[in-house]
Amino acid sequence: MPLLSFLGILLIPGKETRGSIFSVFNITVSLVAAIILFGCIWNKPAVHVQFTWFSIGDSAFKAGILLNNLSVILALLVAFIALLVHIYSTRYMKGDSYIYRYWAYLGLFCFSMFGLVITDNLLLIYMFWELVGFSSYLLIGFWFTRESAVIANKKAFLMNRLGDLGFLTGIMIMYTQFGTLDIISLFGEDGLINKAVVTDGLWVAAQHTMPEIWLTIAGLAFFFGAVAKSAQFPLHTWLPDAMEGPTSVSSLIHAATMVAAGVFLLGRVYPLFNHDVLFIIAATGAFTAFMAASIALTQNDIKRILAFSTISQLGFMMLAMGIGAFAPAIFHLVTHAFFKCLLFLAAGAVIHEMHHLKDKSGLDFDHQDIRNMGGLKKYMPFTFITMLLASLALAGIPLTSGYLSKDAILIQAFEWSDNQHWIARLVPYSALITSWLTAFYIFRLIFKVFFGQLRINKGTETALVLHEAPPAMKYVLVVLAMFCLFPVFSASPLSYEQSWLLQGLPHEIIRSVYNYHTVIPLTVNVVAVMLIYMAYNWYVKRAAAPDFSGSWLFKFSEQQWYLDKFYNNTFVAAVLGISRSAFSFDKAVIDRGVNAFGKVGVAVSYVADWTDRYIIDGIVNGIASLAGSIGKFVRHFQSGRLQHYFVTMLLVILVFFILKYLAW
Amino acid sequence: MIPLSHYLFISAALFSIGLYAVLTKRNSILILIGIEFMLNAAILNFVAFSRHDKFASGGQVFALFAIVLAAAAVAVTLAIILNVYKYYKTIDPTKIDQLRD
Repeated sequence: MPLLSFLGILLIPGKETRGSIFSVFNITVSLVAAIILFGCIWNKPAVHVQFTWFSIGDSAFKAGILLNNLSVILALLVAFIALLVHIYSTRYMKGDSYIYRYWAYLGLFCFSMFGLVITDNLLLIYMFWELVGFSSYLLIGFWFTRESAVIANKKAFLMNRLGDLGFLTGIMIMYTQFGTLDIISLFGEDGLINKAVVTDGLWVAAQHTMPEIWLTIAGLAFFFGAVAKSAQFPLHTWLPDAMEGPTSVSSLIHAATMVAAGVFLLGRVYPLFNHDVLFIIAATGAFTAFMAASIALTQNDIKRILAFSTISQLGFMMLAMGIGAFAPAIFHLVTHAFFKCLLFLAAGAVIHEMHHLKDKSGLDFDHQDIRNMGGLKKYMPFTFITMLLASLALAGIPLTSGYLSKDAILIQAFEWSDNQHWIARLVPYSALITSWLTAFYIFRLIFKVFFGQLRINKGTETALVLHEAPPAMKYVLVVLAMFCLFPVFSASPLSYEQSWLLQGLPHEIIRSVYNYHTVIPLTVNVVAVMLIYMAYNWYVKRAAAPDFSGSWLFKFSEQQWYLDKFYNNTFVAAVLGISRSAFSFDKAVIDRGVNAFGKVGVAVSYVADWTDRYIIDGIVNGIASLAGSIGKFVRHFQSGRLQHYFVTMLLVILVFFILKYLAW
Repeated sequence: MIPLSHYLFISAALFSIGLYAVLTKRNSILILIGIEFMLNAAILNFVAFSRHDKFASGGQVFALFAIVLAAAAVAVTLAIILNVYKYYKTIDPTKIDQLRD
């Protein structure tokens, strides 16, 4: 069975794919494989197959795949949404001159996403994690001729790298402590994590012991990785900018799948987190959810609204993870993937049409600005209805899937905070407020786009140009809209406990504080409906739309809490400053040092040269000239004159005799 | 009876004269004559010492041999000198120095 899935997956990275049909076929095959897998694995023992990948010293790295409920549900989700987005893209991207690159990148992304969800090894997950980030980088910068797209993909990449750093740190701590990166042996039922105990401030594992603080640090490191990937508070600013990519990509990657990878990672390493880390996760999630929702209130770009909405919903998932509501988090991930994907695709259809209108009418306006839209209900009924459904799901109105998952999170959050410190109580309340804000901003979007009158060019020809999205896009929207409704996930429209998805995932026995179960959904929905009605009044009837645009709160929200500016002013400026000072340091100290070193070298070589010339050469030359002068001296004896020889001989004999005489 | 020392003095004088001639003369024939002087000084010594040879006149016999050999040597030397003269057109030994370096 894993083999089949591997085959299906290996088909996907159609690098040479030039045509859409091949890509769609591949993704369909993998969807079929994922469905079969899902049928085989769901609610049955997990399949875990591995082989030895490589070994360093004594430790062998095993690579393999791990299929349990969590991974098959995500694989199915990814395959399904990817297929829909592929079909959608055949129309949406039609005519783009680099379409084959688009398919290739999309294939790469799908491949890495599948790899991410099914591998069993932290190192492999890290590799696929990087691949996912990289393909996202490629796709954000797909329209690389746009300056803003290039800046956005750079930003996304850098932010993601920061998170990857955290992930890697976590991996290293894990490896140091346990000597393995295998998920089953680390996080399984009787895995090393569960066996490791904390005693006397020490974190004791089988082979290795380190101070307790490292347990927290490891948890935080993994969380930091997830923060970057899932666009949580300190590192969320890349996601709105990532909307520079094609809308279908935003839908697949930045709404449904990739950003969920962070949540998925937290799900995989869940047993690692101790109490502190979980609290930080919950707090970050709650804060991010609230912040992003408040920003979404005032944005005007249709995709940016959805992006902040995504951040906000991811905050919800993080929150759920943090409070121990593991199953609701994954449940929300799945439902959110469907309705947010639908929202994006519908928005894509709207943008598509507005773009056409812009081209045809020759007007110059921002085709993503909701202030320019309005009254599209008439022209695009399908899009309107599907998007309305998705919005209802996002707002958590009963009978939708979003209601089930969001209320699951909210109820568990309240139950969790019951016995906690008062700070912890802020978490569920901020989540509550966030869900109200969500209802308001998403219906602000709906009303502005689909109701009222078109705000640009009241000319007659607009009616002729604007029309429903093409079939390929339309039916995708319809299919997704089906998945926003409750029956897909639960038999009962109001009670999330009956959801098959929740029951398939490990979850705590829900404590019987049943008053929450009625009070919370009721509060949420009554207030949400009131807010929607208010939005309707403000934006459709234009009855009493108060003008907040002067207040500082509005500005605060519109400028995205000034975080982008803050980052620019602090981190970017600081980095630039550091690099500038590094440059001058380089110039003043390093270069000077290098130059001085060079000069010393020259001086040394002068000395060496002198020594060479006058001492070494001198010795050699001296020996030579000594031999020469000896030769010159000796050559005098060989004059060729007999009489000289004779004298010499005589002298020698005389000396001989004199010596002999003296010796006696 | 002339004492032995007189012979030896004359012999030494002859030898010295011969040596002087050999070392200073610029003529090969005169050098040859100097050589003969030294040779005869040696022969004179032989003869003078043979008086003290009571058993056989070995010194005189050697003297005769030496005279004969000297005559032969002179003949050969003169022939060499003639050939040298034919070749170099001179018999000045200072000019014949082709063996120098």
